[in-house]
Amino acid sequence: MKLASLLMHLLGLFLLPFLLPGVINRVKAWWGGRRGAPFLQPLWDTRRLLGKQPVYSTVTTVVFRLAPLVVLATTLVAALLAPMLPGGGLLPFPNDFVAFAYVLGLGRMFLTLAALDTGSPFEGMGAAREATFSVFAEPALFLVLGTLALGSGHGTFAELMRPHGWQAFLVTPLCVLALFLLLQIECARLPVDDPTTHLELTMIHEVMILDHSGPDLAMMQYAAALKLTLYAGVLAGLLNPIPLETQPVLAALVSLVLMLATAVAVGLLESLLARLRMRLIPQFGIAIAVIGFVALVLATTQPELG
Amino acid sequence: MPLLHFATISLLLGALLCIAVPGNRRRAAIGIASQVIATLLVLGAVIPVLGHQPAIVAQLTWSYPVDLILLRIDGLGALFLAFSMPLTLLGAVYAHGYLQPYFQSDRNIGVHYALLNLVSLSYLIIYSVENAMVFLLGWEIAALAAWLLVIWDYRNQKVRFAGFNYLVSTHLGLLFLVTAFLVLFSQTHSFDFSQFGVFLRNPGTTRNVTFLLLVASFGLKSAFFPMHTWLPRAHAAAPAHVSALMSGVIHKAGLYGLLRFTLLMATPDEWMGWFLIAFALLSAVTGVMYTAVQRDLKRLLGYSSTENVGIACLGFGIGYLGLSWHNPVLVVLGFAGGLLHILHHAVFKCLLFYAAGAVYSATHSVDIERLGGLARRMPQTAVAFLLGGIAIAALPPLNGFVSEFLLYSAMFEDSVLGGQNRGLLVLAATVLAFVGAVSAFSMTRAFGLTFLGTPRDPQVHEAHDPVLAMRSAFYVLGALLFVFGLIPQVGLALVAAPVGQFIALTHRGLDVAHVLAVPLALLMPVVAVSAVVLLLVGALAALRHWAMPAAAPAHRTWGCGYTEPLPRAQYTGASFSGHLASYYKTLLPTKLDRHMPQGPFPAEAHLRTHTVDAVEDRMFEVLDTGEATLALLAERAPQTPRIAFALGLVVLVATVALVLASAGGRL
Repeated sequence: MKLASLLMHLLGLFLLPFLLPGVINRVKAWWGGRRGAPFLQPLWDTRRLLGKQPVYSTVTTVVFRLAPLVVLATTLVAALLAPMLPGGGLLPFPNDFVAFAYVLGLGRMFLTLAALDTGSPFEGMGAAREATFSVFAEPALFLVLGTLALGSGHGTFAELMRPHGWQAFLVTPLCVLALFLLLQIECARLPVDDPTTHLELTMIHEVMILDHSGPDLAMMQYAAALKLTLYAGVLAGLLNPIPLETQPVLAALVSLVLMLATAVAVGLLESLLARLRMRLIPQFGIAIAVIGFVALVLATTQPELG
Repeated sequence: MPLLHFATISLLLGALLCIAVPGNRRRAAIGIASQVIATLLVLGAVIPVLGHQPAIVAQLTWSYPVDLILLRIDGLGALFLAFSMPLTLLGAVYAHGYLQPYFQSDRNIGVHYALLNLVSLSYLIIYSVENAMVFLLGWEIAALAAWLLVIWDYRNQKVRFAGFNYLVSTHLGLLFLVTAFLVLFSQTHSFDFSQFGVFLRNPGTTRNVTFLLLVASFGLKSAFFPMHTWLPRAHAAAPAHVSALMSGVIHKAGLYGLLRFTLLMATPDEWMGWFLIAFALLSAVTGVMYTAVQRDLKRLLGYSSTENVGIACLGFGIGYLGLSWHNPVLVVLGFAGGLLHILHHAVFKCLLFYAAGAVYSATHSVDIERLGGLARRMPQTAVAFLLGGIAIAALPPLNGFVSEFLLYSAMFEDSVLGGQNRGLLVLAATVLAFVGAVSAFSMTRAFGLTFLGTPRDPQVHEAHDPVLAMRSAFYVLGALLFVFGLIPQVGLALVAAPVGQFIALTHRGLDVAHVLAVPLALLMPVVAVSAVVLLLVGALAALRHWAMPAAAPAHRTWGCGYTEPLPRAQYTGASFSGHLASYYKTLLPTKLDRHMPQGPFPAEAHLRTHTVDAVEDRMFEVLDTGEATLALLAERAPQTPRIAFALGLVVLVATVALVLASAGGRL
């Protein structure tokens, strides 16, 4: 059972980061009246990039070469901590969600440093935006995860997915909403960042990796897609009603469907919405924190806890 | 105890000798040698106390009005001595490289080393005495020695002003401390801490007032918001090793004082815990916000002290709650997290200041807007600063993450009773997450703009890594970052004895091993995660190397259509933090001086931005004159060091007189 769960987790880790962006792109294509690329196009793109030789700017230092490795390594470790199935983190320990957030923070630091390393003003702009918006996203994430920890009375990421008590029916949807909005910031999706834009001045994530090429670019893109998968996985874990202990296969299937549904929702939003003005994005982060705060207030008025 | 006597003698004799002997090289050698001896002796004395040995107790007799000095080095004092002495020694070694340009001049380096010895001596007094009068004496030695160290470059008016500002502020803090001691004296008719403790055990209004006075005084010493205004000026003005020691080591005495009086209070009220948490978070948030906008590297690091003492004090606030709720887990996690953070902060803050000092001695500038691309020319300094930056942003796998993780564990602790209490702690954790994110922002900005990219100002001198004396500090502290970050047993072993003292206050006798068990169990998986991150990065690097053995071609940075990228077109510090600062205008007021280009043939245009300290700005705005007063004060500040010294003496004498008068009133 444990082994099966582990295998599913690892398979999900490997495949879903290729599938989810493919689904998002396909949904956007359909909405725009195009046929769209194959679902697994990101996988073929990655294979193509891995076969290429990278080009390094003469300005860059070892930080630039280290960054893709650190970004990928931290995202992989975060993937081991995050529950992609309900109740199923691979390495659960108390307060592992704190480690999850901080490990990703290390990756973000190297991502932004690599952008600054090129000396390009455009990449510097992207780095500044990424770092600034994370200042607003990080507290919101802790508010949501802390609320879930309160609601479930437990301290591991996997157990957070099971808030109980009379107000769970209110707390869970609020947290799901907050996490879904956080996904837009953290994974650079619309309305925060437009991944398909072609003007450097309007980008956040894509402009930071302009100078990465070949396998380095593949690592960066895979890590970004993996982060999206993690957030979708956490959302699926929160929404999944099937207990993993009794019906593991069904639970995994439901989670998979929910993650695909998240990707579809992201794709639909991207088809319908325009990008927010840069100045408004911090307010977007603050709005998420407000949702999290409401959930926290609801969770703390629980009489059983007192 | 004889070890400590010899240490004192070594320090005093070293101080005397290094002023007296001729030749700067010899003076420095004597200074360092006396520090080495003293450090070894003190470590020999205190390390057993950190293990299972009982506290070192002794008595000294002195003349009126002190009579009998009780000395007692318990776990808490031993911990502070155990990190203060070696780090000061390291500072003295670093100074040997940093002050190299002065060795040939006619300045007496010995004075500087003698003052460093006096700083070490002040630790021996502050962390051991049980008598308020002598405690004040040590306090004053530390303050005056630090002040004289700050104004090393006293020919510079700005440095004198910074020193004077520090001197006045630290004595304002002293007034609070003296007042608190006088209140306690009026209640107990004694200057002994043990007598204070008898009184402080009883809740009541007087205890509350005393607590607030003590927090004000110790808070000013450790540069808590809003009493931090002296700090960025002093840190920017002082030599790098003095900034490092002040920020990382000397001003931890404020937190020591707080903890010492916590031990005397035994069971604090619940409101004190919440008050400390709020006070600490306010400092952490404002301190870190200021780091995000500074253009002077050393000022930036100075503000980050305000942030980090806030984080440590957050742990103590949680510990207070644990004491008043009789929740031993909270006591252990709060105090262990806070004490570890003090220890860790001392290590990474010193490292960052030393790296900034290396930048200064190589380029004669610490202005982020003028630097850039230093990593190519000073690779070792760049690595040191990057490691320090990762640690201070509390990111894995380094030590800052370990102590903050303990604090998070305390705030998410599910044995806390009451939904509201848990909710408030989750909110506090959210604020800490905000602080962490801004800290990562500032360190990315500081490191990225200083060391990466291309040099912004061609005027900046050709830079290179510093001499071995300075680099040795990088090696020692850099290694410590990993040791504390990956082997939590080391840090926990150091704080076990003081944490045991706080546990004893809950009347649950726990031996050291049990004290360690809870935090260790929490930390082991975390450091495993850190280690996995490191291993994975290594494995991926090996994989990439194996897959692509050929050297990759090099090319210019892609200019997005521009064929001639200008170094000056790079993102600047002000542009990096502009968006963030615009969201916190109240806290980060930015003065603009702009002349925008106008018309079809614009003449010259300029834009200057300067983000000032809101507290300092408002303080003078209250006087209805704003910046003008500040400029005036800076001009009027004592023109010669002699007057500054005289003023310092007057303050000192007045303080001593006040203390003596209060003592005389009783005797």
